[in-house]
Amino acid sequence: MAEYWGIKVEDIFNSMQERFRPEGAKDVNAVFGYDIKDEGKWKLTVKNNSMVIEKTDSLSGCIATMAADGETFVGVNTGKVDATNAFMSGKFKVEGDMVLFGKTGRLFRKFVIAKKKMTVKDYLADMFATVAPRFKAGEAEGLDASFAFDLGGPDGGKWTVFIKDKTCTVTTTIEGKPTVTLEFNDAKDYVDFILGKIDAHSILAAGKAAAKGDINMMASKWPILFEKYKDPMAGDVTEQELLVLKKTISLNQNFSTGPIMGKFLKGLKDKKIYANQCPQCGRLQLPPREVCAECRVRAGDFVEVGPKGEIRYMDVVYYAMPDPLTGVARETPYGSIFILLDGCQGNETLTHFIRKDQIEKIQMGWNEKKGTRVRPVWEENRIADIWDIKYFEIDE
Amino acid sequence: MGKRLAICAVAQIKNHPNYHYLRFQNMLLECFEPIMKQTNVTFDMEKGIRTIITCSDDMFDARTISDNGITDVVGAHFRGEEKMAQESINGLGYAMACILSGHDDVILFMGHCKESQGESRRMISNLAYDPFYCRPLGMDYHNVDAFQARTYMEKSKVTDKHLAKIVVRSRKNGKKNPYARENKIIDEKEVMNSPMYSDPLRELYIYPVTDWAYGMLLCSEERAHEFTKNPVWITGYGSCMDRYFLGDRDLASNFSLKNAAKRAYAMADITNPRKDIQLFELSDHAAYQLPMWAEGVGIADECQGGRWIDEDGMDKFNVNLSGGQLNGNPLLLGGAARAIECYYQLANQAGDRQVRGAKRAVAQAATGGAGQHQAVIVMEGQGG
Repeated sequence: MAEYWGIKVEDIFNSMQERFRPEGAKDVNAVFGYDIKDEGKWKLTVKNNSMVIEKTDSLSGCIATMAADGETFVGVNTGKVDATNAFMSGKFKVEGDMVLFGKTGRLFRKFVIAKKKMTVKDYLADMFATVAPRFKAGEAEGLDASFAFDLGGPDGGKWTVFIKDKTCTVTTTIEGKPTVTLEFNDAKDYVDFILGKIDAHSILAAGKAAAKGDINMMASKWPILFEKYKDPMAGDVTEQELLVLKKTISLNQNFSTGPIMGKFLKGLKDKKIYANQCPQCGRLQLPPREVCAECRVRAGDFVEVGPKGEIRYMDVVYYAMPDPLTGVARETPYGSIFILLDGCQGNETLTHFIRKDQIEKIQMGWNEKKGTRVRPVWEENRIADIWDIKYFEIDE
Repeated sequence: MGKRLAICAVAQIKNHPNYHYLRFQNMLLECFEPIMKQTNVTFDMEKGIRTIITCSDDMFDARTISDNGITDVVGAHFRGEEKMAQESINGLGYAMACILSGHDDVILFMGHCKESQGESRRMISNLAYDPFYCRPLGMDYHNVDAFQARTYMEKSKVTDKHLAKIVVRSRKNGKKNPYARENKIIDEKEVMNSPMYSDPLRELYIYPVTDWAYGMLLCSEERAHEFTKNPVWITGYGSCMDRYFLGDRDLASNFSLKNAAKRAYAMADITNPRKDIQLFELSDHAAYQLPMWAEGVGIADECQGGRWIDEDGMDKFNVNLSGGQLNGNPLLLGGAARAIECYYQLANQAGDRQVRGAKRAVAQAATGGAGQHQAVIVMEGQGG
């Protein structure tokens, strides 16, 4: 089969079904014939807003038949050949109901010539080559920042986008201390992320990417500073009416601990774990709370417990969400544990993490059965937060 | 008169610009304990509290299902607990429905809001709007209120000076209320020189950021004597939701408030609010709303808000003797604050603010920008 502009006659017919527009076929109920010289004959049946195309030997029964050579047919369908000129010069003819045949023009979306496929490397080159042209200088008043991209994998590379004095420059290195650095284990994920094929949350959650430095600069400022990247392969897709707005809602908060949680956190700084005790039922609460919810009285007395204890429950998390306060993806898998600290009983447990390499060795306890004994590993520089305990480890 | 609902006790903490040393659980606990003490109510499953209604907001608390974090300090474990995520005044309407229907006969009603926790209450109220149209157009309660302020002020001949007068009076009244936010006493000139937020609304025309919590014990008429000698009654409740999109509304029409008031008055057998009701607590998120809502509840003539202020309507009708929302209550809790002030007045516990012989009072509050949703309750004291 001959090719014209890289396209075969058959390509036009074979793509008719997916290019078909039912809205253009509302008043058409007919059979059309196509007689393409040296290529063959096709019969198009349009009925009840649907269509069938088939290769055939006989075009009898067609209300109108078009005859042309392959080059003209492909040319007219792809816009390479002017249809009126071709008709006037007799390069294609229509026999039968010409008016009805004219309606076939509305039946199909335009045939788009398939472009060469772009590789990850092609995309990265295009994405960073278009950073400067997509830069909106008006949004960069007074901004002095650098965005570094450290993209791994076989097609990866390093780029830094500098913004200063309302100009944008791009280098293919990472130097000095960028305002924010975006790291992807595999550059392909970055390309898919920019093309909107995967979302940031799932990449971060899976630990495939991380942002370091002023994350807000990347999350909030970048989309304002640059026009969105346009996929050159996307073609002439009509504007969608069903849109999705992707937006991070962020609002800074001042969370107060109050005196009870405050005492607990301060205790961690001093390597002490405090529970508080209900004056009525005597149960301990970890972390301490204002009241015993069961007796509805204030639970004011603090009791130091642990720091060692035994594991009651454990869960191993493989698919983690990013830490909501930092946006940094947690490393997986990790073991989440409930520990019955010495001095506590029943369900008076504390939640924390187990040392990574000991997940497999943990035995959960329940009722009379003892769980694995563990002890806290303290952070050297403690700041009165829950990570003053790095994790618990087996107490051997 | 139909059945009515008793308020047996109220408790609150002082309205404060920033309780940085407390979390909202601590704030609520300070209200929970006095209610228990005043009423000796228990959590007995036969005779005590089985239903707790709370009022809070996810966006202000920055946690979803905001009531989840406070169930212990309001005694709600192992009991029915429902959250009102709208103006607290609607929690009273909800409690009323619960009790008058016979579903339950004792209800603890608690609310909290720590407005100081979020960086910007305007960003929070912006989130009340849809993400495609109103949000990107910058709508929040301040500038949406400003649209209404302009329209209403023109219609009812209310001036900048009138607004300043309302603010100055609010702060003076607040000084007599031991639970009111501590604000500087200022003069009209100072008010009118405060920065313009959304013309015509200046900084001091808008209620200040405030943290607050409250509690109330509500019960059926039959059981009120078990908890107090001096109950105050809720005899009428009405609410109305106006259109969501501002462009669909006649902003100066008072449409939803008039409807809400009409329903509340009908339920409480009020035919002439000017004569039948001795004090009014109106929800002035911004100063212009005080005369506007006064028109809506029927104590100022239509389109005469300006004249009503000139003729001392605010004092004549005993409006916002508590200082009002304008002196400082958190968003969503203004309605509870209004009802609590009415309670003090009708129980003859309002100290320096006491209106002698007050028998009936109206508390009104609005949710949303430009008073979209309105609710009105009518309350009566023992003499009523």
